[in-house]
Amino acid sequence: MSKRILVMEDEKDNRQIIRDMLGGIDCEITEAEDAQQALAAIAKERPDLILMGIHLPIMNGYTVTRQIKANPALRSIPVIAITSHALNGEEHVARAAGCDDYVPEPYSPRYLLAKIRQYLLQ
Amino acid sequence: MRIMNPFVHLVARMPARVQSKLLAAFLAIVMLLIIVGAVGLQVLSGVNERTEELIKLQRKIEAYRQVQHDTTSQLYSVSTALLFADDQSLSGTLRQLNQFGYDVDRLEFVARDEVELIEQFRQNYNRFINVVTRVIELIRGGRTAEARQMQLREATPLANQLERLTNQLVNKAEADMVSGIEASTQSYGTAQWIVVAFALGSIALALGLGYAISWSLVGPVKEIEKRLNQVAAGDFAQRVAVVNRDELGALATNVNRMCEELGRLYQQLELVSKHKSQFLANMSHELRTPLNAILGYTELMADGAYGEPSEKMLGILKRLEANGKHLLGLINDVLDLSKIEAGQLVLELSDYCVQDIAQTVRSTLEPLAADKKLGFKVEVAPQLPSGRGDGRRLTQVLINLVGNAIKFTDAGEIAIKAEANNGAFRVSVRDTGPGISAADQAKLFQEFQQADNAITRKKGGTGLGLAISKRIIEMHGGRIWVESQVGRGSTFAFTLPVIVERQVEPA
Repeated sequence: MSKRILVMEDEKDNRQIIRDMLGGIDCEITEAEDAQQALAAIAKERPDLILMGIHLPIMNGYTVTRQIKANPALRSIPVIAITSHALNGEEHVARAAGCDDYVPEPYSPRYLLAKIRQYLLQ
Repeated sequence: MRIMNPFVHLVARMPARVQSKLLAAFLAIVMLLIIVGAVGLQVLSGVNERTEELIKLQRKIEAYRQVQHDTTSQLYSVSTALLFADDQSLSGTLRQLNQFGYDVDRLEFVARDEVELIEQFRQNYNRFINVVTRVIELIRGGRTAEARQMQLREATPLANQLERLTNQLVNKAEADMVSGIEASTQSYGTAQWIVVAFALGSIALALGLGYAISWSLVGPVKEIEKRLNQVAAGDFAQRVAVVNRDELGALATNVNRMCEELGRLYQQLELVSKHKSQFLANMSHELRTPLNAILGYTELMADGAYGEPSEKMLGILKRLEANGKHLLGLINDVLDLSKIEAGQLVLELSDYCVQDIAQTVRSTLEPLAADKKLGFKVEVAPQLPSGRGDGRRLTQVLINLVGNAIKFTDAGEIAIKAEANNGAFRVSVRDTGPGISAADQAKLFQEFQQADNAITRKKGGTGLGLAISKRIIEMHGGRIWVESQVGRGSTFAFTLPVIVERQVEPA
């Protein structure tokens, strides 16, 4: 059975890259451009993995993650934070918000794909 | 001290120049000295006057006694003349008469203030002399019995009268003397007190004035000094509280104005610096997003996500990736340096292993060295202690040093060496590159400096790597330096404490 991956990302190119990167593996990708779409899709589809873009307008990825992790039904879904803020301690912020993993931009698709495989296998 | 404070305050509030205040204080003290001197002189002249009075009285008494003596002598000499009636005793009587006259003149001179008694004395004297003269004439005339009669009846009572009068004068003079001595003692005592009181008063006033003046000057200076120290320590918020209405007050006002201006400028600077850091952080974020797309697509293309690329295409994609990563390096360096400059770079202290760091550097950079056919040696002393510091930043430093070595070396080898000594790690990176001249060595660790700007363009790099490395090593309490000779390669080395428990603030 193919895995469901939710991608929350407002940059068109970044969504495209993730889509192309995941082209080689058997999965269903749901794309969300903002937090509202993402939360609706997560509640409806209950994905196996969430790739969470952090720096989105209105509601950022950390807030969405906190909401997901506060929900007992969704808590177990792994969340990988993707952030272009490469400041010291950003990883701590990501972990504190409940993200399971952290990938700073710019990332290597190879590296991100390896991480995704690792979570999907669990 | 506290009691004097209102006085100090008063002096400080005086709207006069410091010069005038000092002059006034000195004048006041000089005036006091003059007054003390004058009072002393006054007392001395009083004492002198009283002494003169006493001497006068003494002379009066002497004169009175002399006259008393003369009266008796006159009677006695007349009696002798009566008894012998010869020329010798008569001339003795006349001599006595002369002496008496002289003494009475003297008496009238010294006791001229005793007008009434002297007048009485003079009358009685005149009568006595008349009587005595007649008695002498009678004796000469041989009328001795008559002379004796006159002597007993007239001369003796007159002599007694004269003696009474002189006794009165003596008594009066003696009474005057006693009261004079008493008054003198009393006035001397009073004068003593006046002089002592004036002297003490002057000393107290001089000390008080000195205290008030000096504290009204020293106080504000101390206050201003304290304030300037605070400013030097970066606290611009305080104000100098100086009440003086003189040059020091003006100075304090200017210091306050200066502090306000400095504080305002400092705030502006801080704001500008904050804006700059914020701008750089945002910029870095904004630059990363498109770079992510560029590097992401490049990698996907190279990996064949859009169809198998040709050999030529693969080469181009590699160049694309290398350039993208270089751009990323530049962005990271600029961000790092701006964070260091803004004091926002904070070390994340944790345990690290030098062997691991060396291994990371090797796996990252050995392929680059291999591309240039350079040897790559790593020599880590066995059983190095586990270090405490920011392992990620130290890795960054070593990558920078080794990266530079590879970049600038065209043949030979790169050697990393790490050892521990006296609680400090010493890590060095040796290359067989062109070497660096002494003049260029001095500039190496400054921002935006590379030994040769032409090389910068050829080899790439921001010239920020060594500046950042230096700051990171210094934040660990360590030191970084270079040893090199042109044509003999270079060795970059750093030392840092094995255990770093606290970040060292830049000097």
